[in-house]
Amino acid sequence: MPADAVVAAPARTGRPVPLLIARYTAERSLRSGALWGCVFGVIVASSALSYNRIYQTSTERQRLAATFGVNHAASALFGPAPELQTVAGFTVFKVSMLLIIIGAIWGLLTSTRQLRGDEDAGRWDLLLGGPTTRARAVGQVLAGLGTGATVIWAVTAVLTMAVGRSSAVHFSVTASLYFALAMTASAVEFLAVGAVTSQLAPTRRQAAGYAAAFLGVSYGLRMVADAGPGLHALIWASPLGWLEQLQPLTGPRPLALIPVAAFTAALAALAVLLAGRRDAGKGMLPDRNTRAPRTRLLSGPTGLTARLALPAALGWAAGTALAAVLIGTIAKAAGATIEGSERQVFSRLGAPGSGAAAFSGIAFLILAIVIAFQAASAVNAARDEEADGRLDHVLAAPVSRSRWFAGRLLAGIAALLFSGIAAGIFTWTGEAAQGGGISLPAALDAGLNIVPPALFALGAGALAAGCWPRRAGTVVYVVLGWSVLVQFAGGFAVQNRWLLDTSLFHQMASAPAVPPDWQVNGILTGLGLTAMLLGMRTFRHRDLQGA
Amino acid sequence: MAQAELAIRTRGLSKHYGRVTALADLDLDLAPGEVMGYLGPNGAGKTTTIRLLLGFIRPTAGRAEIFGTDCQRNPDITHRRVAFVPAEASLWPSLTGAETLHLLGRLHGQADSSYRDELIARFDLDPSKKVRAYSRGNRQKVLLIGALMTRAELLVLDEPTSGLDPLMEVAFRHCVTEARERGQAVFLSSHVLSEVEALCDRVVILRDGRVAESGTLSEMRHLSAVTIEATFAGEVPDLSTVPGVSGVVTEGHSLRCQVAGPVQPLLTALANAGVTRLLVREPSLEELFLAYYGQSVPSEGVAGVAG
Repeated sequence: MPADAVVAAPARTGRPVPLLIARYTAERSLRSGALWGCVFGVIVASSALSYNRIYQTSTERQRLAATFGVNHAASALFGPAPELQTVAGFTVFKVSMLLIIIGAIWGLLTSTRQLRGDEDAGRWDLLLGGPTTRARAVGQVLAGLGTGATVIWAVTAVLTMAVGRSSAVHFSVTASLYFALAMTASAVEFLAVGAVTSQLAPTRRQAAGYAAAFLGVSYGLRMVADAGPGLHALIWASPLGWLEQLQPLTGPRPLALIPVAAFTAALAALAVLLAGRRDAGKGMLPDRNTRAPRTRLLSGPTGLTARLALPAALGWAAGTALAAVLIGTIAKAAGATIEGSERQVFSRLGAPGSGAAAFSGIAFLILAIVIAFQAASAVNAARDEEADGRLDHVLAAPVSRSRWFAGRLLAGIAALLFSGIAAGIFTWTGEAAQGGGISLPAALDAGLNIVPPALFALGAGALAAGCWPRRAGTVVYVVLGWSVLVQFAGGFAVQNRWLLDTSLFHQMASAPAVPPDWQVNGILTGLGLTAMLLGMRTFRHRDLQGA
Repeated sequence: MAQAELAIRTRGLSKHYGRVTALADLDLDLAPGEVMGYLGPNGAGKTTTIRLLLGFIRPTAGRAEIFGTDCQRNPDITHRRVAFVPAEASLWPSLTGAETLHLLGRLHGQADSSYRDELIARFDLDPSKKVRAYSRGNRQKVLLIGALMTRAELLVLDEPTSGLDPLMEVAFRHCVTEARERGQAVFLSSHVLSEVEALCDRVVILRDGRVAESGTLSEMRHLSAVTIEATFAGEVPDLSTVPGVSGVVTEGHSLRCQVAGPVQPLLTALANAGVTRLLVREPSLEELFLAYYGQSVPSEGVAGVAG
């Protein structure tokens, strides 16, 4: 609903419309909820339908179950794998962690955008100018966001029930509803997390950063808990662990919904409480609004870019380093279970070989996906400068468009290299602490090996920013989303070589399980750099475009 | 005056978005030391003109030069002699005012630091605050100081006083007057007609992307209707058939109207109706502006143009 319609609505009736903010928020989140519900449903359907085609005999299914059912490496990365000899167990193992992470990211980004983002943009003042209070307004926004999450659940459930009617799949209606609930509960949890961080932080970016850090810690705890039986109790310390304990389709444990519901309700109540106790436009955490000038780097467009990009780059690198340390720490124990016939299955996931190297190969694939999204973030940050009008100040000075654009790209490339090197060094550090066998040069090679797909993504984003600036973010996220989908589908089911080749991550050798393919890396990097140059050329000759 | 000396020169400058004409055949000359007011309602093409001059968007036809250099081909050369204040005060929220001014000075390549400090005092700005803690008016002050401190030969100002309080508007007028005295050219797009009337040597009025009128205020007044206010002992006469009369507003025994061309028929009609008091004056810029848009001035004061 457009903002003017919100304002106009009470005038038609002559009295305030009840729950107007909740309705407004619900309408804004409905479309993205429906879209992501479709994505969830398609992923579930493709996974469930592919099982019988790929694993046709009982022997193959038993081998799959024997490989992953007790494999701590796979459990650490994707969650436990019970009943892999059934389509239900396979579907849960293949899609659950992916959907839980996507749902959590959707939740935290949606709530921080609609709460803190609207406040940053001044739209919140319009809402608070009506007959409401800050606390009630936050409560209504949360109710509206809950509608969006409900739509994701409903669409996922409908598509799961539809595929469940197939004789090859056979999921009951109740099981489908419960499965969809388990897959989308992370969205609800992290809507609440984002609502709280929106009260704590003074800006949307910081609020999203705090919520993302919480997600990272939750994932790390779950990963450690699933890496070996000794630390499994840690699963109850992670909101993602509770979702894992729901065990849809294989051994439902609805009681695990209690901590999920309690956590969500407590955070929602906390967000409402904090909203009533702070000033509009401010966060609860102290934020110094005055300081002596720090003019370091503020000497030109490239310095400005470095200054603006540095906090985000350090954040991404820190997150990557933390994940790398965790991977390195558990690699030896987790990789010890990869032997014999299991190698073939790990090979399908992209990491042939055995032991810690094979585990690390898959883990580096996940890090490659992470830093590819870092590239997408850099594209969006550059586009925001143009859309919000800040670029006008730079280009109204004697600064060429090429200089500004090249500076943004150089900062992006440097940040990606930094994250890649951090991934290598910290994986080696984690493994070395456990007496693991990977050498520092091999770890560094593996770290640098994950950079080219991100450079390609940066190039695709730069080209889109040059040609279709208002669609730049969408283009790069579609490229990455497709690549992730094909890569994970390829690991378990998809056999079509042409289709697999469309994934950026399928092109990447799974170092350190296998040596990096520097020729392919060179091609990916070359394509990325070419796209960047084309994007810069187009950017030089087009109109600047606002939001 | 030689063309190369003009601060701004456009010929046939046009911008179309599909079938929509944002700007059509604009011919504009601005000399150094001159202040030009650029008026028009929202969507008339003012900001489009400025973005074309700065090379932010490409013209569909025509050309624009700043100090004789093509704005599109060599924007980084022309921008050395230009300072710009945009209508939207969108700045980097994590930087303080002082850091932003430092950055703007370094980007431009020249900034008079003593004049910057003087401007900070004049505009009563606390430069130690982060931009996100500034009000809209204070963000606008940062942009104004950032432009003025460069002492650029051409100031391009797009609604520069939006959000400023009246005291700061006075400070702004002093700064523009000083800039003109130093020989700087000022291109001032504004909705504050009193500001334009007070500062500008020449005025250009846009309508639907085309120049509706241009010239000095006195030239425009000569071409336009004069305003007449009359009070009567009895009933106010019906002037609808009097040649040249328009915009009649009556209130009790008084009326106000504009008359273009010969005033004899109107004076005869007023005399016959028993006029007891008569005031004749030239139109204000506000009345001129509204006249070009086919509207009369309301009986109560109008602070500016809507929107």
